[in-house]
Amino acid sequence: MSNKVAIIASNGGLFDAYKVFNIATAAAASEKEVAIFFTFEGLNFIHKQGMHALPMPAGAEHFAAGFAKANVPAIPQLVEMAQELGVKFIACQMTMDVMGLSTGDFIEGIEVGGAVTFLEFAKDAAPSLTF
Amino acid sequence: MKADFQLDAKGLSCPMPIVKTKKVMADLVDGQILEVSATDKGSKADIAAWAETVGHQYVGTLETEGVLKHYIRKCSNDRIEETMFDQTIDLELITSSEGLILDVREEAEFAFGHIAGAKSIPMGQLEARLSELDKEREIYVICRTGKRSDMAAQKLASHGFTRVFNVLPGMTSWKGDLTKNI
Repeated sequence: MSNKVAIIASNGGLFDAYKVFNIATAAAASEKEVAIFFTFEGLNFIHKQGMHALPMPAGAEHFAAGFAKANVPAIPQLVEMAQELGVKFIACQMTMDVMGLSTGDFIEGIEVGGAVTFLEFAKDAAPSLTF
Repeated sequence: MKADFQLDAKGLSCPMPIVKTKKVMADLVDGQILEVSATDKGSKADIAAWAETVGHQYVGTLETEGVLKHYIRKCSNDRIEETMFDQTIDLELITSSEGLILDVREEAEFAFGHIAGAKSIPMGQLEARLSELDKEREIYVICRTGKRSDMAAQKLASHGFTRVFNVLPGMTSWKGDLTKNI
C-alpha cells in the first residue's frame, strides 16, 4: 500500500483551498507523506497576501455565514497546520515566471520546482488528487 | 468512562479533531486510552477510520447531549504478539467451563463489549486487586489478542494461583454475544 498522497492545487478559490488543505492535513495526520503542487491560481493559497483573501465562487457568497457558524479554521491556519504536519509544498516555477512572482512572495518553507519534481513524488502515490 | 488522557475537540470541524488526536496520541504510551470529545458528527466515522489506518485500536463512541466521546487505545504496530504462559484454554471452551472469566483489558474496552459474566480487572490494577480472586477456582484470563492476558496469567501464577489459564485467541475472535456497560 502506498504511503504517499499527491495533490495538485490548480484553482484559487476559497472552496478549492478547503478541499486541498482538509485532505492534505487529514492525510498527514494519518501518517501519510503528502506533497501539494501549487500551479496557476493554486499559487494563491501560499501567497503571503493572497491566502488571506481567497475569493468565494460567484453566487456562493452567502456561505460565508456557514463557514463562521461551523467554526471552520481559516485557510492560513490550515496552511500552518499542514506545514507543521510535514506536508511538502511545491510551487510551480513556470507559473511563477508567467505571473512575475518570486519565492519572496510566498510563505516560508516552500520548495520551487517543475512538473518533474511533482511527478517524481507522485509516481508511487495513491491517491493522486487534483483540485 | 475511565481514560488516561482527555482531548477536548468540541466545536472543531473536520479535519481538526483528527489532527488534534494525532498530536495528543504522541504523548500516550502503548496501551493507554485517549478520550476525544467532539461535536463534529463526522468525527465518529473519521476517528474509527483513522485508528484503523494508523494501527491504533478504536474502542467505541458514546454520545450524550450532542457530544461524542471517542475512545482509542494506543497500539504500536511493531510489537510482537508472543505468548509465554503454558496453561492455555481455547476461547470456544470458556463459556461452557466452570471457572471465572477474568477480562484484563482497560475499563473502556470492557464497557464497549465483553463476555457475559466476565469480571473486569484491568492489567494495571491486577496486583492491587488479587484479593478479589479465588485461588480454588479456575481462572480464564482474557484480553483482546492474548498478549496482556499472558502477562496477567504469569503475574497470577507468581502470586500462587495455580488454576490459571490464558484464553487464546482473545476477544478479537469472539463470535458470541457481547454485553455492554454503556
